[in-house]
Amino acid sequence: MKKVLGVTLGILTAIGGFVDIGDLVTNALVGARFGLHLAWVVIVGVIGICLYAEMCGRVVAMSGRPVFDLIRERLGPRTGLLTLVASFLVTLLTLIAEIGGVALALELASGVHYLLWMPLAAFAVWLVIWRVKFSRLEQVFGLLGLLLVVFAVALFTLGPDWGQLLHQATRPHPIGHENWATYAYYGIALFGAAMTPYEVFFFSSGGVEEKWTRSDLVTARSNVFVGFPLGGLLSLAIMGGAAVLFLPAGIKVETLGQVTLPVAVALGKLGLAIVLIGVFAATFGAALETALSCGYTIAQYRGWQWGKFVRPREASRFHVVIIVCLVLAMLTLLTAVDPVQVTEYSVVFAAMALPLTYLPILIVANDPDYVGEEKNGPVRNAFGLVYLALLTVASAAAIPLMIITKGGQ
Amino acid sequence: MPGESGRVLHAQLHLLDRQLIDQADGHLAGKVDDVELDLDADPPVVTALITGRERITARRIVDITTAVTVSVEDLDLDYYDDWVENHVIAKIPGARHAPE
Repeated sequence: MKKVLGVTLGILTAIGGFVDIGDLVTNALVGARFGLHLAWVVIVGVIGICLYAEMCGRVVAMSGRPVFDLIRERLGPRTGLLTLVASFLVTLLTLIAEIGGVALALELASGVHYLLWMPLAAFAVWLVIWRVKFSRLEQVFGLLGLLLVVFAVALFTLGPDWGQLLHQATRPHPIGHENWATYAYYGIALFGAAMTPYEVFFFSSGGVEEKWTRSDLVTARSNVFVGFPLGGLLSLAIMGGAAVLFLPAGIKVETLGQVTLPVAVALGKLGLAIVLIGVFAATFGAALETALSCGYTIAQYRGWQWGKFVRPREASRFHVVIIVCLVLAMLTLLTAVDPVQVTEYSVVFAAMALPLTYLPILIVANDPDYVGEEKNGPVRNAFGLVYLALLTVASAAAIPLMIITKGGQ
Repeated sequence: MPGESGRVLHAQLHLLDRQLIDQADGHLAGKVDDVELDLDADPPVVTALITGRERITARRIVDITTAVTVSVEDLDLDYYDDWVENHVIAKIPGARHAPE
């Protein structure tokens, strides 16, 4: 019974934790501009993250080694360093976007300008990392993030023409005055938002934090195979709401307030209150995950003691990295850059860093030294290779498309 | 390798860039940055692991799995971590307490 409870809790946490500022903004933005014509990318992305997160979970449960340990070990110090720099910068950029998201959610709830909330948000993130136990931090924000289910409730309440939504979802091409370049650009953005590198850094390091062993494989797999797809459905609900409300009116989504508007229109003030708490929890939870991931990547590359399973003073360099990253995030946001635009760029840069992050995982998931008998089968390897090819294409196309479309204009 | 065990290992695959673990407290203690070989021996044997500025002689190696456990004893592998701890982290309230 206790086991079932643990598995259920894990799944619920995974659903609530799946959506972050990148998913919120990108799905709403794409829904408003392309309807559901890009919905298939979310499904492709969710399958990809399931595939690779499961490999990470298996490697951690069997060997106790997190992802970035493997990246340096399999790619060597030089390519490993390149991967470290790329994925660290992307994770830092995501951290900036998440903290901006927390502050924007607080602004929407209070009317007080987000720049005043922002230092408080960054400090709160640090305090939680400094003082709160790993398992508790994951559960509280994951479960509160489940409130984002109101996006799905709102979509049903809006009473859309389901036939038309299905029609859009099954026609993968640009519409209106959008062209193939912007279509591909936002496809890559959605892909990057669904498969963001920090997700596997956090998932695998979390496995070490919670001391996973072989017997935890069931938990790890149920989190991945049930929790992530249900989280992906939330992403589609956000996209659907925006498609119903904004696409016919030709309105572009440029603020976090617009992201939550479908819920406010469908469910009124109560809905808005719930969605704001949900957005706060999702972005705050993701801010914790990205701040920790900044520390995890550098510490694991260098071999430093890391993690919340030891006292802060025993992992001093790990905690210093986190503090420095939070200060950098705060200083960047103080220049009054638009957090929503930071988010848009962060998901595209995430797409660029993907192949180097995922290649070592695929290699090690085949290495009996690490996973014993739990090696990848031929089906998993075939899927893994197909995704690696997809990631490489997306990664190579990201910058040219960013230039051609002037950042998706 | 210690002569008596004499395991056959691929130095690049099994040793280079592996995580070092301190046998005494289980703490992570850096990476294997380089491997020192005695090429005169036949077959060549590993004489030491290099991490940062420290040289860990082969006799200190306790176990080699997906990480390398070593007996640190008088080696100062935690020099930088201790410096950061004493000058920054230990000054922040709560640094000594386990999270709750």
